[in-house]
Amino acid sequence: MFLALKEIKHEKLRYGLIIGMIMLISYLVFVLTGLSQGLAQQNTAAIKSWNAKQIVLNKNANVNLTQSLITQKASQQLKLTATEAYVGQASVVAKKSGLAKESAQFIGLESNQFIAQHLQLTSGHWAKNQQQLVVNQSFKTAGYKLGDHLKLNSSKTNYQIVGFTKNATLSIAPVIYGQLATWQQLKNLNNSFKTSAIVSQKANYQTSASDLKAYPIKTFINKLPGYSAQNLTFTFMIAFLMVISLIVIAVFLYILTIQKIQNYAVLRAQGVPAQFLIRATLAQAFLLVLVGIIIAAGLTVLTSLIIPAGTPMTFNLPLLSGIAGGLILMALFGALIPIWTITKIDPITAIGG
Amino acid sequence: MASQNLLEMQQINKVFGSGLSKVHVLHDINFSAAAGHLNLILGPSGSGKSTFLTIAGGLQAPTNGQVIIAGQSLAALSAKQRDNLRLKQIGFVLQSYNLLPYLNVSDQFSLVDRIKPNNNLSAAKLKKLLKELDIAELIAKYPAELSGGQNQRVAIARALYPNPAIILADEPTAALDSQRVEQVGQLFANLAHNEKKAVIIVTHDLRLKKFADQINEISDGHLQQTIVND
Repeated sequence: MFLALKEIKHEKLRYGLIIGMIMLISYLVFVLTGLSQGLAQQNTAAIKSWNAKQIVLNKNANVNLTQSLITQKASQQLKLTATEAYVGQASVVAKKSGLAKESAQFIGLESNQFIAQHLQLTSGHWAKNQQQLVVNQSFKTAGYKLGDHLKLNSSKTNYQIVGFTKNATLSIAPVIYGQLATWQQLKNLNNSFKTSAIVSQKANYQTSASDLKAYPIKTFINKLPGYSAQNLTFTFMIAFLMVISLIVIAVFLYILTIQKIQNYAVLRAQGVPAQFLIRATLAQAFLLVLVGIIIAAGLTVLTSLIIPAGTPMTFNLPLLSGIAGGLILMALFGALIPIWTITKIDPITAIGG
Repeated sequence: MASQNLLEMQQINKVFGSGLSKVHVLHDINFSAAAGHLNLILGPSGSGKSTFLTIAGGLQAPTNGQVIIAGQSLAALSAKQRDNLRLKQIGFVLQSYNLLPYLNVSDQFSLVDRIKPNNNLSAAKLKKLLKELDIAELIAKYPAELSGGQNQRVAIARALYPNPAIILADEPTAALDSQRVEQVGQLFANLAHNEKKAVIIVTHDLRLKKFADQINEISDGHLQQTIVND
Protein backbone atom coordinates (compact mmCIF):
# COMPACT_ATOMS: atom_id res chain seq x y z
CA MET A 1 0.00 0.00 0.00
CA PHE A 2 2.96 2.31 0.81
CA LEU A 3 4.37 2.19 -2.73
CA ALA A 4 0.89 2.36 -4.31
CA LEU A 5 -0.11 5.45 -2.31
CA LYS A 6 3.22 7.22 -2.81
CA GLU A 7 3.17 6.65 -6.56
CA ILE A 8 -0.45 7.79 -6.98
CA LYS A 9 0.29 10.88 -4.87
CA HIS A 10 3.38 11.74 -6.90
CA GLU A 11 1.89 11.04 -10.37
CA LYS A 12 -1.40 12.85 -9.85
CA LEU A 13 -2.20 13.58 -13.50
CA ARG A 14 -1.38 10.09 -14.74
CA TYR A 15 -3.42 8.35 -12.04
CA GLY A 16 -6.12 11.03 -12.14
CA LEU A 17 -6.75 10.11 -15.77
CA ILE A 18 -7.02 6.41 -14.93
CA ILE A 19 -9.35 7.15 -12.02
CA GLY A 20 -11.41 9.38 -14.34
CA MET A 21 -11.73 6.55 -16.85
CA ILE A 22 -12.76 4.05 -14.17
CA MET A 23 -15.14 6.60 -12.66
CA LEU A 24 -16.91 7.12 -16.02
CA ILE A 25 -17.25 3.38 -16.61
CA SER A 26 -18.50 2.79 -13.04
CA TYR A 27 -20.96 5.68 -13.35
CA LEU A 28 -22.31 4.25 -16.60
CA VAL A 29 -22.62 0.81 -14.98
CA PHE A 30 -24.47 2.28 -11.99
CA VAL A 31 -26.86 4.33 -14.15
CA LEU A 32 -27.55 1.38 -16.46
CA THR A 33 -28.15 -0.85 -13.45
CA GLY A 34 -30.52 1.79 -12.04
CA LEU A 35 -32.38 1.97 -15.37
CA SER A 36 -32.52 -1.80 -15.68
CA GLN A 37 -33.89 -2.06 -12.13
CA GLY A 38 -36.30 0.82 -12.67
CA LEU A 39 -37.71 -0.66 -15.84
CA ALA A 40 -37.93 -4.13 -14.29
CA GLN A 41 -39.74 -2.63 -11.32
CA GLN A 42 -42.19 -0.71 -13.50
CA ASN A 43 -42.93 -3.94 -15.34
CA THR A 44 -43.67 -5.94 -12.23
CA ALA A 45 -44.22 -3.69 -9.18
CA ALA A 46 -47.98 -4.31 -9.02
CA ILE A 47 -47.60 -8.08 -9.31
CA LYS A 48 -44.85 -8.14 -6.68
CA SER A 49 -47.00 -6.05 -4.30
CA TRP A 50 -49.62 -8.82 -4.31
CA ASN A 51 -47.10 -11.35 -2.91
CA ALA A 52 -48.60 -14.01 -5.14
CA LYS A 53 -46.77 -17.26 -5.92
CA GLN A 54 -48.94 -18.79 -8.65
CA ILE A 55 -51.16 -17.43 -11.42
CA VAL A 56 -53.88 -19.31 -13.29
CA LEU A 57 -54.45 -18.24 -16.89
CA ASN A 58 -56.32 -19.51 -19.90
CA LYS A 59 -53.95 -22.18 -21.19
CA ASN A 60 -54.19 -20.79 -24.73
CA ALA A 61 -53.13 -17.29 -23.65
CA ASN A 62 -49.39 -18.00 -24.06
CA VAL A 63 -48.76 -17.01 -20.41
CA ASN A 64 -50.01 -13.50 -21.23
CA LEU A 65 -52.43 -11.73 -18.93
CA THR A 66 -53.74 -9.51 -21.77
CA GLN A 67 -54.63 -12.56 -23.86
CA SER A 68 -56.21 -14.50 -21.03
CA LEU A 69 -59.94 -14.76 -20.37
CA ILE A 70 -61.42 -17.20 -17.88
CA THR A 71 -65.03 -18.17 -18.23
CA GLN A 72 -67.53 -18.32 -15.38
CA LYS A 73 -67.79 -22.07 -15.93
CA ALA A 74 -64.02 -22.65 -15.76
CA SER A 75 -63.64 -20.43 -12.71
CA GLN A 76 -66.25 -22.45 -10.87
CA GLN A 77 -64.00 -25.49 -11.11
CA LEU A 78 -61.42 -23.73 -8.98
CA LYS A 79 -61.50 -23.70 -5.23
CA LEU A 80 -60.87 -20.17 -4.03
CA THR A 81 -59.83 -19.50 -0.43
CA ALA A 82 -58.58 -16.39 1.34
CA THR A 83 -55.24 -16.75 -0.50
CA GLU A 84 -56.68 -16.54 -4.03
CA ALA A 85 -58.03 -13.54 -5.93
CA TYR A 86 -59.49 -12.74 -9.33
CA VAL A 87 -57.56 -10.30 -11.50
CA GLY A 88 -59.23 -8.72 -14.51
CA GLN A 89 -56.82 -6.80 -16.72
CA ALA A 90 -57.55 -4.27 -19.45
CA SER A 91 -55.34 -1.73 -21.17
CA VAL A 92 -56.92 1.68 -20.84
CA VAL A 93 -56.33 5.35 -21.61
CA ALA A 94 -57.40 7.72 -18.85
CA LYS A 95 -58.67 11.12 -19.96
CA LYS A 96 -59.57 14.26 -18.12
CA SER A 97 -60.04 17.60 -19.75
CA GLY A 98 -57.09 19.89 -19.19
CA LEU A 99 -54.71 16.99 -18.48
CA ALA A 100 -52.66 14.80 -20.77
CA LYS A 101 -54.01 11.36 -21.59
CA GLU A 102 -52.48 8.59 -19.47
CA SER A 103 -51.97 5.08 -20.80
CA ALA A 104 -52.60 2.68 -17.95
CA GLN A 105 -53.35 -0.89 -16.96
CA PHE A 106 -56.75 -1.41 -15.37
CA ILE A 107 -56.88 -4.17 -12.78
CA GLY A 108 -60.30 -5.27 -11.64
CA LEU A 109 -60.50 -6.89 -8.21
CA GLU A 110 -63.12 -8.41 -5.97
CA SER A 111 -63.40 -6.18 -2.90
CA ASN A 112 -63.49 -9.13 -0.50
CA GLN A 113 -60.40 -10.88 -1.87
CA PHE A 114 -56.85 -10.54 -0.57
CA ILE A 115 -55.43 -8.10 -3.15
CA ALA A 116 -58.12 -5.45 -2.57
CA GLN A 117 -58.09 -6.18 1.14
CA HIS A 118 -54.35 -5.66 1.49
CA LEU A 119 -53.90 -2.87 -1.04
CA GLN A 120 -51.73 -0.18 0.57
CA LEU A 121 -53.34 3.17 0.02
CA THR A 122 -51.36 6.37 0.44
CA SER A 123 -54.63 8.33 0.61
CA GLY A 124 -58.37 7.83 0.11
CA HIS A 125 -60.24 4.51 0.28
CA TRP A 126 -60.93 1.38 -1.79
CA ALA A 127 -63.53 1.56 -4.62
CA LYS A 128 -66.95 1.10 -3.09
CA ASN A 129 -68.84 0.94 -6.41
CA GLN A 130 -68.19 0.38 -10.10
CA GLN A 131 -67.47 4.07 -10.79
CA GLN A 132 -64.76 4.44 -8.19
CA LEU A 133 -61.05 3.92 -8.87
CA VAL A 134 -57.81 3.70 -6.91
CA VAL A 135 -54.88 4.88 -9.03
CA ASN A 136 -51.13 4.77 -8.86
CA GLN A 137 -49.31 7.65 -7.21
CA SER A 138 -47.90 8.74 -10.60
CA PHE A 139 -51.36 10.11 -11.49
CA LYS A 140 -50.75 12.71 -8.80
CA THR A 141 -47.60 13.83 -10.62
CA ALA A 142 -49.66 14.03 -13.81
CA GLY A 143 -52.07 16.45 -12.09
CA TYR A 144 -54.86 14.18 -10.84
CA LYS A 145 -56.29 14.68 -7.36
CA LEU A 146 -58.56 12.75 -5.03
CA GLY A 147 -62.19 13.23 -6.14
CA ASP A 148 -61.24 13.99 -9.76
CA HIS A 149 -63.45 12.48 -12.43
CA LEU A 150 -62.00 10.84 -15.52
CA LYS A 151 -63.04 8.72 -18.45
CA LEU A 152 -61.49 5.41 -19.51
CA ASN A 153 -61.13 4.57 -23.20
CA SER A 154 -64.29 5.46 -25.08
CA SER A 155 -66.60 4.66 -22.18
CA LYS A 156 -69.17 7.37 -21.41
CA THR A 157 -68.99 6.53 -17.69
CA ASN A 158 -67.48 9.11 -15.39
CA TYR A 159 -65.09 7.40 -12.99
CA GLN A 160 -63.94 9.02 -9.77
CA ILE A 161 -60.51 8.74 -8.16
CA VAL A 162 -61.15 7.76 -4.54
CA GLY A 163 -57.70 6.59 -3.58
CA PHE A 164 -54.02 6.61 -4.42
CA THR A 165 -51.67 3.68 -4.02
CA LYS A 166 -47.94 3.30 -4.53
CA ASN A 167 -45.83 0.73 -6.38
CA ALA A 168 -48.71 0.02 -8.73
CA THR A 169 -47.19 -0.36 -12.19
CA LEU A 170 -47.50 -3.14 -14.73
CA SER A 171 -45.72 -3.41 -18.09
CA ILE A 172 -44.23 0.11 -17.60
CA ALA A 173 -47.69 1.64 -17.15
CA PRO A 174 -49.43 2.90 -14.02
CA VAL A 175 -52.17 0.68 -12.64
CA ILE A 176 -55.76 1.79 -12.08
CA TYR A 177 -57.51 -0.49 -9.61
CA GLY A 178 -61.29 -0.88 -9.62
CA GLN A 179 -63.94 -3.47 -9.11
CA LEU A 180 -64.04 -6.65 -11.18
CA ALA A 181 -67.44 -5.57 -12.53
CA THR A 182 -65.81 -2.38 -13.88
CA TRP A 183 -63.33 -4.58 -15.77
CA GLN A 184 -66.25 -6.46 -17.34
CA GLN A 185 -67.75 -3.12 -18.38
CA LEU A 186 -64.46 -1.89 -19.89
CA LYS A 187 -63.96 -5.13 -21.83
CA ASN A 188 -67.65 -5.18 -22.91
CA LEU A 189 -67.92 -8.72 -21.61
CA ASN A 190 -71.10 -10.53 -20.68
CA ASN A 191 -71.52 -12.54 -17.51
CA SER A 192 -70.10 -15.70 -19.05
CA PHE A 193 -66.57 -14.32 -18.50
CA LYS A 194 -65.40 -14.06 -14.94
CA THR A 195 -61.78 -12.79 -14.96
CA SER A 196 -58.43 -12.59 -16.78
CA ALA A 197 -56.55 -14.59 -14.18
CA ILE A 198 -56.62 -15.99 -10.69
CA VAL A 199 -53.61 -15.40 -8.49
CA SER A 200 -52.73 -17.43 -5.44
CA GLN A 201 -50.35 -16.86 -2.56
CA LYS A 202 -49.80 -20.63 -2.35
CA ALA A 203 -46.73 -21.89 -4.23
CA ASN A 204 -48.41 -25.24 -4.94
CA TYR A 205 -51.77 -23.88 -6.18
CA GLN A 206 -52.90 -25.89 -9.20
CA THR A 207 -56.00 -26.26 -11.34
CA SER A 208 -57.64 -29.30 -12.85
CA ALA A 209 -59.82 -27.25 -15.22
CA SER A 210 -59.02 -28.30 -18.78
CA ASP A 211 -58.96 -24.74 -20.19
CA LEU A 212 -56.72 -23.34 -17.48
CA LYS A 213 -53.13 -23.67 -16.43
CA ALA A 214 -51.29 -22.57 -13.30
CA TYR A 215 -47.84 -20.97 -13.65
CA PRO A 216 -45.31 -19.82 -11.06
CA ILE A 217 -45.32 -16.01 -10.84
CA LYS A 218 -41.61 -15.99 -11.82
CA THR A 219 -42.45 -17.73 -15.10
CA PHE A 220 -45.32 -15.32 -15.68
CA ILE A 221 -43.06 -12.28 -15.05
CA ASN A 222 -40.36 -13.61 -17.39
CA LYS A 223 -43.00 -13.99 -20.08
CA LEU A 224 -44.20 -10.37 -19.73
CA PRO A 225 -43.85 -8.84 -23.22
CA GLY A 226 -40.28 -7.55 -23.68
CA TYR A 227 -39.32 -8.13 -20.03
CA SER A 228 -36.68 -10.84 -20.52
CA ALA A 229 -35.27 -9.26 -23.70
CA GLN A 230 -34.92 -5.92 -21.92
CA ASN A 231 -33.24 -7.47 -18.88
CA LEU A 232 -30.89 -9.48 -21.06
CA THR A 233 -29.92 -6.35 -23.02
CA PHE A 234 -29.05 -4.49 -19.83
CA THR A 235 -27.21 -7.50 -18.40
CA PHE A 236 -25.07 -7.70 -21.52
CA MET A 237 -24.35 -3.96 -21.50
CA ILE A 238 -23.32 -4.08 -17.84
CA ALA A 239 -21.22 -7.22 -18.39
CA PHE A 240 -19.44 -5.63 -21.37
CA LEU A 241 -18.71 -2.49 -19.35
CA MET A 242 -17.25 -4.63 -16.57
CA VAL A 243 -15.02 -6.39 -19.10
CA ILE A 244 -14.02 -2.96 -20.50
CA SER A 245 -13.11 -1.82 -16.97
CA LEU A 246 -10.95 -4.95 -16.64
CA ILE A 247 -9.18 -4.17 -19.92
CA VAL A 248 -8.65 -0.49 -18.98
CA ILE A 249 -7.04 -1.43 -15.65
CA ALA A 250 -4.99 -4.22 -17.23
CA VAL A 251 -3.67 -2.02 -20.06
CA PHE A 252 -2.87 0.99 -17.86
CA LEU A 253 -1.19 -1.03 -15.12
CA TYR A 254 0.72 -3.08 -17.69
CA ILE A 255 2.10 0.06 -19.38
CA LEU A 256 2.98 1.60 -16.01
CA THR A 257 4.68 -1.62 -14.89
CA ILE A 258 6.69 -1.81 -18.12
CA GLN A 259 7.89 1.75 -17.43
CA LYS A 260 9.03 0.69 -13.94
CA ILE A 261 10.76 -2.54 -14.91
CA GLN A 262 14.32 -1.16 -14.49
CA ASN A 263 13.49 0.17 -11.02
CA TYR A 264 11.82 -3.11 -10.09
CA ALA A 265 14.85 -5.04 -11.42
CA VAL A 266 17.10 -3.04 -9.07
CA LEU A 267 14.75 -3.70 -6.16
CA ARG A 268 14.68 -7.42 -7.02
CA ALA A 269 18.53 -7.40 -7.17
CA GLN A 270 18.54 -5.80 -3.73
CA GLY A 271 16.50 -8.74 -2.47
CA VAL A 272 13.06 -7.14 -2.43
CA PRO A 273 10.66 -10.09 -2.78
CA ALA A 274 8.48 -10.17 -5.92
CA GLN A 275 5.48 -10.57 -3.57
CA PHE A 276 6.13 -7.07 -2.20
CA LEU A 277 5.94 -5.58 -5.70
CA ILE A 278 2.90 -7.73 -6.54
CA ARG A 279 1.11 -6.54 -3.40
CA ALA A 280 1.92 -2.93 -4.38
CA THR A 281 0.42 -3.49 -7.85
CA LEU A 282 -2.71 -5.11 -6.40
CA ALA A 283 -3.04 -2.30 -3.87
CA GLN A 284 -2.70 0.23 -6.68
CA ALA A 285 -5.41 -1.47 -8.77
CA PHE A 286 -7.65 -1.63 -5.69
CA LEU A 287 -7.09 2.03 -4.77
CA LEU A 288 -7.63 3.29 -8.32
CA VAL A 289 -10.89 1.43 -8.76
CA LEU A 290 -12.07 2.23 -5.24
CA VAL A 291 -11.59 5.97 -5.70
CA GLY A 292 -13.21 5.74 -9.17
CA ILE A 293 -16.20 3.89 -7.71
CA ILE A 294 -16.59 6.30 -4.77
CA ILE A 295 -16.69 9.30 -7.14
CA ALA A 296 -19.06 7.41 -9.48
CA ALA A 297 -21.31 6.55 -6.52
CA GLY A 298 -21.39 10.24 -5.55
CA LEU A 299 -22.34 11.19 -9.12
CA THR A 300 -25.01 8.47 -9.14
CA VAL A 301 -26.54 9.84 -5.92
CA LEU A 302 -26.48 13.31 -7.48
CA THR A 303 -28.13 11.94 -10.62
CA SER A 304 -30.86 10.25 -8.58
CA LEU A 305 -31.63 13.62 -6.98
CA ILE A 306 -31.90 15.56 -10.22
CA ILE A 307 -33.47 13.12 -12.69
CA PRO A 308 -37.14 13.81 -13.57
CA ALA A 309 -39.58 11.84 -11.41
CA GLY A 310 -40.91 9.88 -14.38
CA THR A 311 -37.52 8.39 -15.30
CA PRO A 312 -37.62 4.67 -14.63
CA MET A 313 -34.58 4.48 -12.39
CA THR A 314 -34.30 2.59 -9.15
CA PHE A 315 -31.12 2.51 -7.12
CA ASN A 316 -30.95 -0.70 -5.17
CA LEU A 317 -28.10 -0.34 -2.67
CA PRO A 318 -27.31 -4.05 -2.13
CA LEU A 319 -27.29 -4.63 -5.91
CA LEU A 320 -25.12 -1.56 -6.59
CA SER A 321 -22.76 -2.66 -3.79
CA GLY A 322 -22.52 -6.04 -5.49
CA ILE A 323 -21.77 -4.35 -8.83
CA ALA A 324 -19.10 -2.19 -7.12
CA GLY A 325 -17.62 -5.36 -5.61
CA GLY A 326 -17.65 -6.90 -9.10
CA LEU A 327 -15.80 -3.88 -10.52
CA ILE A 328 -13.17 -4.18 -7.77
CA LEU A 329 -12.75 -7.88 -8.56
CA MET A 330 -12.42 -7.04 -12.26
CA ALA A 331 -9.67 -4.51 -11.43
CA LEU A 332 -7.77 -7.06 -9.34
CA PHE A 333 -8.22 -9.55 -12.17
CA GLY A 334 -6.94 -6.89 -14.61
CA ALA A 335 -3.83 -6.54 -12.44
CA LEU A 336 -2.87 -10.15 -13.21
CA ILE A 337 -1.07 -9.24 -16.46
CA PRO A 338 1.23 -6.64 -14.82
CA ILE A 339 1.72 -9.08 -11.94
CA TRP A 340 2.80 -11.75 -14.39
CA THR A 341 5.26 -9.21 -15.83
CA ILE A 342 6.68 -8.56 -12.35
CA THR A 343 7.21 -12.27 -11.72
CA LYS A 344 9.21 -12.43 -14.97
CA ILE A 345 11.58 -9.56 -14.07
CA ASP A 346 15.16 -10.75 -14.13
CA PRO A 347 17.25 -8.87 -11.53
CA ILE A 348 20.33 -9.39 -13.72
CA THR A 349 18.97 -6.66 -16.02
CA ALA A 350 19.67 -4.21 -13.18
CA ILE A 351 23.43 -4.70 -13.67
CA GLY A 352 24.76 -2.68 -16.56
CA GLY A 353 28.11 -2.41 -18.29
CA MET B 1 45.32 -8.95 8.75
CA ALA B 2 43.40 -12.19 9.30
CA SER B 3 39.75 -11.62 8.71
CA GLN B 4 36.67 -13.70 8.13
CA ASN B 5 35.79 -14.27 4.47
CA LEU B 6 32.24 -13.02 3.91
CA LEU B 7 32.20 -13.88 0.22
CA GLU B 8 34.00 -16.75 -1.44
CA MET B 9 33.96 -17.76 -5.09
CA GLN B 10 35.57 -21.15 -5.76
CA GLN B 11 36.52 -22.40 -9.22
CA ILE B 12 33.79 -20.33 -10.89
CA ASN B 13 33.21 -20.83 -14.59
CA LYS B 14 30.44 -19.26 -16.61
CA VAL B 15 29.58 -20.35 -20.11
CA PHE B 16 26.80 -18.80 -22.20
CA GLY B 17 25.29 -20.58 -25.22
CA SER B 18 26.46 -23.78 -26.80
CA GLY B 19 28.12 -25.07 -29.95
CA LEU B 20 29.40 -22.33 -32.22
CA SER B 21 27.74 -19.60 -30.16
CA LYS B 22 29.38 -20.83 -26.94
CA VAL B 23 31.07 -18.03 -24.96
CA HIS B 24 33.24 -18.82 -21.94
CA VAL B 25 32.89 -15.61 -19.93
CA LEU B 26 34.58 -16.55 -16.64
CA HIS B 27 37.47 -19.00 -16.26
CA ASP B 28 38.25 -20.75 -12.97
CA ILE B 29 37.69 -17.69 -10.82
CA ASN B 30 38.80 -17.96 -7.22
CA PHE B 31 38.03 -14.91 -5.17
CA SER B 32 37.37 -14.07 -1.57
CA ALA B 33 36.31 -10.88 0.13
CA ALA B 34 37.03 -10.55 3.79
CA ALA B 35 35.38 -8.34 6.37
CA GLY B 36 37.36 -5.12 6.69
CA HIS B 37 38.72 -5.18 3.14
CA LEU B 38 37.98 -3.04 0.12
CA ASN B 39 38.33 -5.07 -3.09
CA LEU B 40 38.53 -3.43 -6.46
CA ILE B 41 37.67 -5.41 -9.59
CA LEU B 42 39.13 -3.56 -12.54
CA GLY B 43 38.65 -4.40 -16.15
CA PRO B 44 37.68 -3.09 -19.54
CA SER B 45 34.26 -3.34 -21.05
CA GLY B 46 33.37 -6.94 -22.03
CA SER B 47 35.97 -8.46 -19.70
CA GLY B 48 33.34 -10.28 -17.60
CA LYS B 49 33.04 -7.71 -14.77
CA SER B 50 29.24 -7.64 -14.80
CA THR B 51 28.95 -11.44 -14.96
CA PHE B 52 31.39 -11.61 -12.04
CA LEU B 53 29.20 -9.19 -10.07
CA THR B 54 25.91 -10.97 -10.82
CA ILE B 55 27.36 -14.32 -9.78
CA ALA B 56 28.97 -12.84 -6.66
CA GLY B 57 25.63 -11.29 -5.72
CA GLY B 58 23.64 -14.48 -6.31
CA LEU B 59 21.70 -13.01 -9.23
CA GLN B 60 22.73 -15.86 -11.49
CA ALA B 61 24.30 -19.24 -10.97
CA PRO B 62 27.74 -20.16 -12.30
CA THR B 63 28.05 -23.00 -14.83
CA ASN B 64 30.24 -24.68 -12.26
CA GLY B 65 32.03 -23.80 -9.05
CA GLN B 66 30.41 -22.45 -5.95
CA VAL B 67 29.66 -19.15 -4.27
CA ILE B 68 29.59 -18.98 -0.49
CA ILE B 69 28.10 -15.94 1.23
CA ALA B 70 28.37 -15.63 5.01
CA GLY B 71 29.09 -19.35 5.20
CA GLN B 72 26.13 -20.41 3.05
CA SER B 73 26.55 -21.99 -0.37
CA LEU B 74 24.19 -20.26 -2.79
CA ALA B 75 23.66 -23.50 -4.72
CA ALA B 76 21.91 -24.96 -1.70
CA LEU B 77 19.42 -22.07 -1.42
CA SER B 78 16.06 -21.63 -3.12
CA ALA B 79 15.34 -18.46 -5.14
CA LYS B 80 13.36 -17.09 -2.18
CA GLN B 81 16.22 -17.84 0.23
CA ARG B 82 18.67 -16.14 -2.13
CA ASP B 83 16.38 -13.05 -2.20
CA ASN B 84 16.39 -13.07 1.57
CA LEU B 85 20.16 -13.46 1.72
CA ARG B 86 20.67 -10.53 -0.67
CA LEU B 87 18.21 -8.42 1.33
CA LYS B 88 20.02 -9.08 4.62
CA GLN B 89 23.68 -9.51 3.65
CA ILE B 90 24.34 -7.55 0.45
CA GLY B 91 24.09 -3.87 -0.30
CA PHE B 92 23.95 -3.30 -4.06
CA VAL B 93 25.03 0.04 -5.49
CA LEU B 94 24.25 0.03 -9.19
CA GLN B 95 24.92 2.42 -12.05
CA SER B 96 21.35 3.63 -12.53
CA TYR B 97 17.68 3.17 -11.64
CA ASN B 98 18.69 2.75 -7.99
CA LEU B 99 15.98 5.06 -6.70
CA LEU B 100 12.25 4.89 -7.23
CA PRO B 101 11.29 8.15 -8.96
CA TYR B 102 8.07 8.61 -6.95
CA LEU B 103 9.71 8.35 -3.53
CA ASN B 104 11.55 11.27 -1.99
CA VAL B 105 14.92 10.61 -0.36
CA SER B 106 13.37 10.04 3.06
CA ASP B 107 10.82 7.58 1.63
CA GLN B 108 13.60 5.59 -0.09
CA PHE B 109 14.75 4.65 3.43
CA SER B 110 11.17 4.13 4.69
CA LEU B 111 10.75 1.59 1.90
CA VAL B 112 13.69 -0.40 3.28
CA ASP B 113 12.07 -0.30 6.74
CA ARG B 114 8.91 -1.83 5.27
CA ILE B 115 10.75 -4.64 3.51
CA LYS B 116 13.32 -5.31 6.21
CA PRO B 117 12.11 -3.89 9.53
CA ASN B 118 15.07 -5.04 11.68
CA ASN B 119 18.77 -4.39 11.92
CA ASN B 120 18.82 -1.29 9.71
CA LEU B 121 20.96 1.72 10.60
CA SER B 122 19.77 3.72 13.58
CA ALA B 123 18.39 7.21 12.95
CA ALA B 124 21.61 8.71 14.33
CA LYS B 125 23.84 6.55 12.10
CA LEU B 126 21.69 7.36 9.04
CA LYS B 127 21.98 11.05 9.83
CA LYS B 128 25.77 10.72 10.12
CA LEU B 129 25.91 8.79 6.83
CA LEU B 130 23.81 11.40 5.03
CA LYS B 131 26.11 14.13 6.38
CA GLU B 132 29.21 12.25 5.27
CA LEU B 133 27.72 11.97 1.79
CA ASP B 134 26.67 15.62 1.90
CA ILE B 135 23.03 14.83 1.14
CA ALA B 136 21.41 15.52 4.54
CA GLU B 137 19.66 18.60 3.20
CA LEU B 138 18.15 16.67 0.25
CA ILE B 139 15.89 14.49 2.39
CA ALA B 140 12.61 15.89 1.01
CA LYS B 141 13.69 15.93 -2.64
CA TYR B 142 12.63 13.51 -5.36
CA PRO B 143 15.27 11.82 -7.59
CA ALA B 144 14.22 14.01 -10.55
CA GLU B 145 15.17 17.08 -8.50
CA LEU B 146 18.70 15.78 -7.83
CA SER B 147 21.83 15.90 -9.98
CA GLY B 148 23.41 12.64 -11.23
CA GLY B 149 26.04 12.79 -8.48
CA GLN B 150 23.47 13.46 -5.76
CA ASN B 151 21.34 10.57 -7.01
CA GLN B 152 24.33 8.25 -6.86
CA ARG B 153 25.20 9.33 -3.31
CA VAL B 154 21.60 8.78 -2.19
CA ALA B 155 21.76 5.34 -3.85
CA ILE B 156 24.92 4.56 -1.86
CA ALA B 157 23.22 5.61 1.37
CA ARG B 158 20.13 3.55 0.40
CA ALA B 159 22.34 0.45 -0.15
CA LEU B 160 24.13 0.95 3.17
CA TYR B 161 20.99 1.65 5.21
CA PRO B 162 20.04 -2.08 5.63
CA ASN B 163 23.44 -2.48 7.30
CA PRO B 164 24.71 -5.25 4.95
CA ALA B 165 27.86 -7.24 5.69
CA ILE B 166 28.87 -7.16 2.01
CA ILE B 167 28.73 -4.20 -0.33
CA LEU B 168 28.72 -4.86 -4.07
CA ALA B 169 29.08 -1.71 -6.12
CA ASP B 170 28.87 -1.50 -9.91
CA GLU B 171 30.67 1.64 -11.18
CA PRO B 172 29.60 3.68 -8.12
CA THR B 173 31.65 6.70 -9.15
CA ALA B 174 30.55 6.83 -12.79
CA ALA B 175 28.47 9.98 -12.30
CA LEU B 176 30.79 11.76 -9.85
CA ASP B 177 33.40 14.48 -10.21
CA SER B 178 36.93 14.02 -8.79
CA GLN B 179 36.10 15.67 -5.47
CA ARG B 180 33.09 13.38 -4.99
CA VAL B 181 35.11 10.33 -6.07
CA GLU B 182 37.53 11.13 -3.27
CA GLN B 183 34.63 11.47 -0.82
CA VAL B 184 32.89 8.25 -1.92
CA GLY B 185 36.13 6.30 -2.09
CA GLN B 186 36.93 7.36 1.46
CA LEU B 187 33.41 6.41 2.58
CA PHE B 188 33.76 2.89 1.14
CA ALA B 189 37.22 2.58 2.72
CA ASN B 190 35.83 3.67 6.10
CA LEU B 191 32.98 1.17 5.79
CA ALA B 192 35.50 -1.59 5.16
CA HIS B 193 38.03 -0.57 7.78
CA ASN B 194 35.85 0.88 10.55
CA GLU B 195 32.56 -1.00 10.08
CA LYS B 196 34.25 -4.27 9.05
CA LYS B 197 32.26 -4.68 5.85
CA ALA B 198 33.49 -6.60 2.83
CA VAL B 199 33.42 -4.04 0.03
CA ILE B 200 33.70 -5.15 -3.61
CA ILE B 201 33.72 -2.42 -6.23
CA VAL B 202 33.56 -3.30 -9.92
CA THR B 203 34.87 -0.34 -11.85
CA HIS B 204 37.19 0.99 -14.48
CA ASP B 205 37.73 4.18 -12.44
CA LEU B 206 41.42 4.10 -11.56
CA ARG B 207 40.93 7.02 -9.13
CA LEU B 208 39.60 4.45 -6.62
CA LYS B 209 42.83 2.41 -6.62
CA LYS B 210 44.32 4.26 -3.68
CA PHE B 211 41.48 3.18 -1.38
CA ALA B 212 41.76 -0.53 -2.21
CA ASP B 213 43.20 -3.24 0.00
CA GLN B 214 43.12 -5.73 -2.82
CA ILE B 215 42.99 -5.05 -6.55
CA ASN B 216 41.80 -7.70 -8.98
CA GLU B 217 42.13 -7.24 -12.67
CA ILE B 218 39.77 -9.15 -14.87
CA SER B 219 40.65 -9.70 -18.46
CA ASP B 220 38.95 -12.09 -20.90
CA GLY B 221 37.32 -13.82 -17.96
CA HIS B 222 40.55 -14.43 -16.04
CA LEU B 223 41.07 -12.83 -12.65
CA GLN B 224 44.48 -11.67 -11.44
CA GLN B 225 44.94 -10.55 -7.90
CA THR B 226 47.25 -7.92 -6.44
CA ILE B 227 47.40 -7.36 -2.74
CA VAL B 228 47.96 -3.68 -2.17
CA ASN B 229 47.53 -3.39 1.54
CA ASP B 230 47.49 -6.41 3.85
